[in-house]
Amino acid sequence: MAFEEFKDILVVMEVADDAPASVSLENIAAAKSVAGEGKVIAVSVGSEAAAKTAIEYGADCAFVVKGAQFEQYNADAVADAAAQLCAEVKAAAIFTAATPAGKDLVARIASKLKTGAVNDATGLKLDDNGNIQFTVPAYGGNILTDVVIDSVRPQVASIRGGSVSKLEPAAGKAGDVVVKDITVADDQVRYAVKEAVKEIAETVNLEEADVIVSGGRGMGSAENFEKLQELADVLGGVVGCTRPAMESGWISRAHQVGQSGKIVAPKLYFAFGISGATQHVSGMIGSKYIVAVNKDEEAPIFDVADVGIVGNAMDVLPVMIEEIKKVIG
Amino acid sequence: MEILVLIKQVPDDSVDIQLDPSTNAPKLDGVTPVTNAFDTYALEMATRFKEANGGTITLATIGDDGAVSSIKECLAVGGDKGFLIKDDSFADSDPAAKGYILSKAAAKLEELNGAKFDIIFAGKEATDFSKDLVPAYLAQELGVPVVSDVIAVDPADGGLLVKQETDTGYNMIDVATPCVLAIQKPDYDPRYPTIKNKMKARKAQVPVLTAADLGTEADKVGAAGSLTKTIGMHAPAKKQAGVKIVPPADVENPIAAATAQAVSIMAEAKVL
Ligand SMILES: Cc1cc2nc3c(=O)[nH]c(=O)nc-3n(C[C@H](O)[C@H](O)[C@H](O)COP(=O)(O)OP(=O)(O)OC[C@H]3O[C@@H](n4cnc5c(N)ncnc54)[C@H](O)[C@@H]3O)c2cc1C
Ligand SMILES: Nc1ncnc2c1ncn2[C@@H]1O[C@H](COP(=O)(O)O)[C@@H](O)[C@H]1O
Repeated sequence: MAFEEFKDILVVMEVADDAPASVSLENIAAAKSVAGEGKVIAVSVGSEAAAKTAIEYGADCAFVVKGAQFEQYNADAVADAAAQLCAEVKAAAIFTAATPAGKDLVARIASKLKTGAVNDATGLKLDDNGNIQFTVPAYGGNILTDVVIDSVRPQVASIRGGSVSKLEPAAGKAGDVVVKDITVADDQVRYAVKEAVKEIAETVNLEEADVIVSGGRGMGSAENFEKLQELADVLGGVVGCTRPAMESGWISRAHQVGQSGKIVAPKLYFAFGISGATQHVSGMIGSKYIVAVNKDEEAPIFDVADVGIVGNAMDVLPVMIEEIKKVIG
Repeated sequence: MEILVLIKQVPDDSVDIQLDPSTNAPKLDGVTPVTNAFDTYALEMATRFKEANGGTITLATIGDDGAVSSIKECLAVGGDKGFLIKDDSFADSDPAAKGYILSKAAAKLEELNGAKFDIIFAGKEATDFSKDLVPAYLAQELGVPVVSDVIAVDPADGGLLVKQETDTGYNMIDVATPCVLAIQKPDYDPRYPTIKNKMKARKAQVPVLTAADLGTEADKVGAAGSLTKTIGMHAPAKKQAGVKIVPPADVENPIAAATAQAVSIMAEAKVL
């Protein structure tokens, strides 16, 4: 099927404090790579500053969505706004970040527009017929599937952080920032957020960290777990955890890596006292270099580790910190 | 309250499933089918809701005959009745097609139950393929609200008060019934069945609903009704085998020696 009239790609960004999330800027690069002669249009809900940043990072122009219904985030309202903008520009595709909110948006936008969608794409390219071919992990990432949406437009997708690199920003690059006053029909906003509670005060940027030092149940206690921070500090990294470590109350949910936590791909990942269950490994297998410490020689984590030490995490950790300090001086 | 819980049977997600190079399909022989973990969380939340507020739980799955075992497992831990939705024409349905089939199934089950559903519980995602999409497509077909990442639900004036997990905390959401809720892991685990409930569930009848029963249109189900197409599968790039260091027994401080060796390998690989 030919879809010549559908060219542009909308990137619906995640914005906090007037800044686009890093993965949203990556989405712009992803959109650029498959847009052909189409424009890449960043969509910022509320923030002109974020729209300008998006243009510096490669977007051709940007829409800033304004209106009374967007003062508090409501996925139904944002999905409807995206659908309206999509109709206006005849978008070929709509991208979001593969975060919980971004995936939720993808599902709402696609079902509303009666079109196809994928969540969690880790790669994309244009095929010979002008469709975007998405790489989508299945079975916790052990298998990669190639998926196309070839009979309808737009192609709606969320793309995982770390899959595509951001473009070099061009400071002060020109590009139209158009404010769109949007009204959503009442019957399209089907739930109301009564209260948005911020429980996790710290900003944990696991997805953007170059080094992650993670601990699992094998750390044994909150006091032991805290020692991981010291290694993270030495390397300028961030502490991660498994679900049991989070559930034991040793650290907040924002640090959890895995299927029901964050998907990360740092340059260096440490796994202390982590068995290597598929639900954890699927969240960190994209790491460039993996170091594992486990007292059980048979632990599955060693199957994915570049370097493993069979031993007690609490014995290894202090020595590791000292040895690494020696190397990095 | 009338409750529908949607479950999917998936290959055991604690097993590393690999691609079979000879068939280019996932190698599933010997892998036990289980109920999708997030659906077990959904059922547990629905069961607690029923225990606190009264109601009936109907279970439904689109699957093959093997999926009856998952329905029976779920009947032993809170489900009151269960149905298998099965038809050759449903094979290769993508999330959009499944949303359509499930909307027709919900309507048929309401007819059989003689009552409308108030809440449809689904899992947040299936652990095999296609993540986070079926609940929204279903809600859109039904024209009802959907809330994702739900970790708690309670009755409220005119509907429900729902707790939604977010990256930085949670939202409290007002939503009217009927609605679809997609469940994330709450801070409790699903219960185990009692022997008595297990025996009872084993004997339960699980009626089958076909395309003819549901009145699905042929061009909206299966490959014909799917908007996404999976055109290939491949294995991710294999990582090179790593080094596993067992502390040497013949030195004074084995752990120190092993750790020093590990750090020198890391330094050589220039990752520090
Ligand atoms: C639907 C679903 C989603 C899930 N999502 C996630 C997720 O997002 N993230 C996640 O992590 N898990 C997730 N899980 C849970 C997952 O299945 C595992 O249970 C979990 O990853 C195991 O965590 P762990 O390695 O810390 O604990 P365990 O499996 O208990 O392993 C502890 C390890 O520590 C080792 N050990 C013990 N003492 C020491 C010591 N002194 N020194 C060194 N090693 C020691 C042991 O040998 C063992 O290998 C999910 C599960 C399901 C069903
Ligand atoms: N074949 C199916 N039968 C019944 N429910 C399903 C089926 N597939 C998906 N679902 C429901 O939709 C949820 C999300 O699935 P998915 O969108 O495929 O990740 C699952 O947790 C189930 O509750």
